[in-house]
Amino acid sequence: MNGAQHILEAFHRHHIDTVFGYPGGCIMPLYDALVDDAVVEHVLCRHEQACALAADGYARASGRTGVCIATSGPGATNLITGVANAHRDSVPMVVITGQVPSALIGTDAFQETDMLGMALGIVKHSYLVEQADELPGVLEEAFKLASEGRPGPVWIDIPKDILLAEVGPAPAVHGTPGVDEVVDASRVMAMLKASQRPLLYSGGGISLAHAEDAFRAFTEASGLPGVTTLKGLGNAGKRAPNDLGMLGMHGSRAANRAVAECDLLLVIGARLDDRATGKLEAFAPSARTIHIDADAAEFNKLRPADLTLMGDLTTILRALTGEVQTSPLAISDWQQTCRHWHTTGGFHAADNDDPYAPIHGPAFIRQLSRITADDTVIACDVGQHQMWVAQYYDFDHPRHHLTSGGLGTMGFGLPAAIGAQFANRASTVINVTGDGSFMMNAQELATIRRYQLPVKIIILDNQCLGMVRQQQELFYNNRESQIDLDDNPDFLTMAKAFDIHALHINRSDQVRRGIETLLAYQGPMLLHVAIAREENVWPIVKPGAGNTDMIDETHRPRSNKEYVA
Amino acid sequence: MNPQPPAASYQIHCRMTPEVAALERLCQVVRVRGFRIAKMAMENVGDSLDIALTLEGNRPIGMLQSQLEKLQTVVVVELKDQALSVVERFSAG
Repeated sequence: MNGAQHILEAFHRHHIDTVFGYPGGCIMPLYDALVDDAVVEHVLCRHEQACALAADGYARASGRTGVCIATSGPGATNLITGVANAHRDSVPMVVITGQVPSALIGTDAFQETDMLGMALGIVKHSYLVEQADELPGVLEEAFKLASEGRPGPVWIDIPKDILLAEVGPAPAVHGTPGVDEVVDASRVMAMLKASQRPLLYSGGGISLAHAEDAFRAFTEASGLPGVTTLKGLGNAGKRAPNDLGMLGMHGSRAANRAVAECDLLLVIGARLDDRATGKLEAFAPSARTIHIDADAAEFNKLRPADLTLMGDLTTILRALTGEVQTSPLAISDWQQTCRHWHTTGGFHAADNDDPYAPIHGPAFIRQLSRITADDTVIACDVGQHQMWVAQYYDFDHPRHHLTSGGLGTMGFGLPAAIGAQFANRASTVINVTGDGSFMMNAQELATIRRYQLPVKIIILDNQCLGMVRQQQELFYNNRESQIDLDDNPDFLTMAKAFDIHALHINRSDQVRRGIETLLAYQGPMLLHVAIAREENVWPIVKPGAGNTDMIDETHRPRSNKEYVA
Repeated sequence: MNPQPPAASYQIHCRMTPEVAALERLCQVVRVRGFRIAKMAMENVGDSLDIALTLEGNRPIGMLQSQLEKLQTVVVVELKDQALSVVERFSAG
């Protein structure tokens, strides 16, 4: 068995049945082996970046490890943004790239790049396979590392001669017997009991740890009011009575106020990211902090914690649930206060009674949320539409919300939707995108067409880079610079070129019908939604300011627009 | 412009498995997490790399230490004259 065949064997052992890749010179032995493989479906994307982002979307939607493949040189360098995206959001991924033959490494050979060196800062771990017999062990270790503890991408760079070399058998895999973790929840409980205004702050770590059920059991048993990060949306489910939604730069007034006034912050599976905390000195100024996470390096990184607990989140949450069931928290006044704040300071997008009014982005997303089924997967891109989705779409599960949180990768949404559709062919998967983001990986319409994927695409088109325009308006004296996209292609014609059905709407009375048509269509479809150029995401906290210093539309400067470019 | 406070100096001993790019990983984390390498010595000891580092920086050294301990090739990180931190990995070889 040669090295390439060993890779496929490793896929089989780890139940990898879908991979995303693009062939080329040095990875050709693996593609040759794929010809004879009946188990692994290879998805040919149209750009290596999209391969990595589709593998990312597949992993987020399924909870399994995503796999992407590319050749050496430009194939591998094109993967980098997608791998960095997975790294920043701790997505389990195995990356396999061909490398020039061992004897040519270091000679500036055709399509040679030092991928091990280039990728050091964006992987959980990486390998350059130097000896053929190392390969089976490296593959085993890579799949284990990618998914255990805090997940992340693991990159294996394999010279072409090793892909072709005869390789000995794979090492026998012996499962390590699990050790029951004993969690001492007493100190957490003591702090919760002593608190008058405890607040739960959860993030993407809940779903990364597959701890969604344990988290919901804990929130229901404890009754703790909760705020979530962008990646944690859906943790509590859409009907959780004490969930205040997203905190932070574009969070709700209710969520940010609860953080400001709580006296105990229970952080679970979150890393206190700057977009969530704003100015650290002003963040939860009166609160003691308990930090629970799978990664000890997150403790005390940005804010000192009074108590830390590292380990498997499901185990910890179950222990805490047992404690609060035995000894319930007496926080009914605080719960009522938070619910009142949520009623008055949550996100409420009014429907427009004027049928001819232009479509309002937040109202569109609210309508989308009302119409779609609870298990619909939304793959966002990056920008204003991403924040409107976070604010106005009620997610019932964190795996239904695919968003580029840490890296903020424009172009993420369409390939991520492709990955999510492969993760579950029966799901309704919608890519909500903007006109800027869509154009960054628009070539993937060809992938959708090729595989007959019923992915739905909604472009909220304001003919500009809306989030940049908004910040230029608010923080750069309204001096617009390089944000105009009013020469966008005709997106309907573009979709048609890929044999994808498309529909355009631009009035409020067309919203419901447009969404229903999109959802009812059998097969891929694009809904082009024209929205006003001047719409902003409200509220917003100026970068570097405290979260209580939220700016809303009443603070909008008078029009003194200065076109710089 | 506010003057920078003088950088504190730390001595760290690190034991790593001698995988490809082990030193590069170490140096990259030190740089990205805000420290400068003032002195560095490395030797092969059995199946390990022993690395002695003198580092300068203004950020909490504990933050760097916990990031170094996350590297898969790092077996031990010791901060000299301060609390000892040991991470045992690859115990199965």
